Amino acid sequence: MKHIKMYLACAHTAFSRAAAYRADFILGSIITLLSNILFPLVTVLIYTNGAAFPGWSMWDVLLIQSVYSMSTGAAAMFFNSVVWETMQHIREGSFETVLLKPVSPLFFIAASNFDPECGGLFIGGLVLTIVSVAHTEICGFSSVLQFVLLFFAGLAVMSGLYLTMAAITFKWVGNSRIPEIFDSIKTFGKYPVEIFPRTLRILSTLIIPVSVIGYFPASALLGRLEPIAFCSLIPCVLFLAFGIWIYNRMIKLYEGVGG
Amino acid sequence: MKVVKHKLEELKAVAFVTYKEWSAYRTHSLVSVFVGPIYFIVQYFIWTAVYGGADTLANMELSQTIRYFGASVLIGYLTMDFADWNLQMLVRTGKFLTFTLRPMHHRFFALSQKIGHRILGFFFEFLPCLLIFSLVFKVDIIPENVGWTAISIVFAFLMNFYINYCIGMTAFYFTQASGIRLVYQLFAQIFSGALIPLNFFPSGIQHLMMLLPFQYTNYITAMIWTGGGNIGGINLSAPQAVLCQAVAVIAVYFLSELIYRLSIKRFTAVGA
Repeated sequence: MKHIKMYLACAHTAFSRAAAYRADFILGSIITLLSNILFPLVTVLIYTNGAAFPGWSMWDVLLIQSVYSMSTGAAAMFFNSVVWETMQHIREGSFETVLLKPVSPLFFIAASNFDPECGGLFIGGLVLTIVSVAHTEICGFSSVLQFVLLFFAGLAVMSGLYLTMAAITFKWVGNSRIPEIFDSIKTFGKYPVEIFPRTLRILSTLIIPVSVIGYFPASALLGRLEPIAFCSLIPCVLFLAFGIWIYNRMIKLYEGVGG
Repeated sequence: MKVVKHKLEELKAVAFVTYKEWSAYRTHSLVSVFVGPIYFIVQYFIWTAVYGGADTLANMELSQTIRYFGASVLIGYLTMDFADWNLQMLVRTGKFLTFTLRPMHHRFFALSQKIGHRILGFFFEFLPCLLIFSLVFKVDIIPENVGWTAISIVFAFLMNFYINYCIGMTAFYFTQASGIRLVYQLFAQIFSGALIPLNFFPSGIQHLMMLLPFQYTNYITAMIWTGGGNIGGINLSAPQAVLCQAVAVIAVYFLSELIYRLSIKRFTAVGA
């Protein structure tokens, strides 16, 4: 309960901070939104040129990509700044200021860096999801329940990825390109998994379950979910647990320089 | 002749120092050895699925499209630039003052820095990825016409630099110009052809893009690399496409000079 109150207080502060620079916040949110929903443009252009992903209509693929955007936006609000803040603290040697706080360092970093600007991406993804859903057929209430379950599993994967990235910054000091590595891996989750060969399908479903970010939740809504999707729930939870564990583990490697 | 020689010596000295400086962070560049091939693999499977049994899409064969994306990745490593960010930072912090005191135009200094930085990129990003594409993925990635492709890369390099420098000069007018930079990057991502070849856009937009600078930073060069040459839906030979690119580079150079002369009057140093 204490942690929830602290988190809410930090989130409130983040919103107040954003409100102080309203124009910057709104512009930032719009740019974040536009730059992250760009990739559906490629899908639209592919379909308007008469081509298609076999077995998938344009709105089906857009649904995958909009759910992906929504998941990315939601996870980024909570954990994106953890990566950059941790990286900056380690580069400057000021992580002591976090370690001295009477709460878990990970919780402190996450709570004090809540990023409302990424809400633009979440809202954009949500709107595009609603539009895509309106052009497709949802297969009943159970599909929606499956979607919710898999969406949260996707959030767990995203969060695990952010925490793993942040953990790496303890060892690979000041490398601002670390997120690029994970972004490239996440790309597999933006498209129908059938287009990839078997090895990559297994990899993106069970090892680094990025398919759960966009593809599986959208498939649930469309009523074309494969049973293996539920097997991937376990790696999703494990991935988040691994992220938390590795972050806390890597803190021990931190060598302060005075703060 | 003496002036040219002196300029070249300056360029060489700044480029060498930048190369040495960034060599300390060469593992940062090596991230591309992972990211580039992953990006390429994804594009390979997307387009293989999309083409299905079709011979051509938007006047491009599957093999050409795949080569296009491989070439785009490699061109990006040779032309990558952040002169806009750098100039905005220098102006905002007042450090630009130190450059106004030097007997060297800041734009030339920045260009020399970029050359040094991208020579490092050539060794640690371009060459490893070229070898991976060619030897591991077995993609025929060698340019159709090496000479014209090389010239086009030089123009793409200059174009990217001059545009970014123009964007960076907005810092003379705005306290915080990062938003403008982000908006530009957004448009550049779409209209440079990095996401999808511009042939896939409706013809009206393709014609409009002839007047915009974006396609000269990537698309034209990638098309020359893969053996095509198409601007605004008009088929061009490699020399014609390079000529168009050269004209665009010259125009942007003079634009950057004009903006520089206007904006330098607004600079008020804060002590650096």
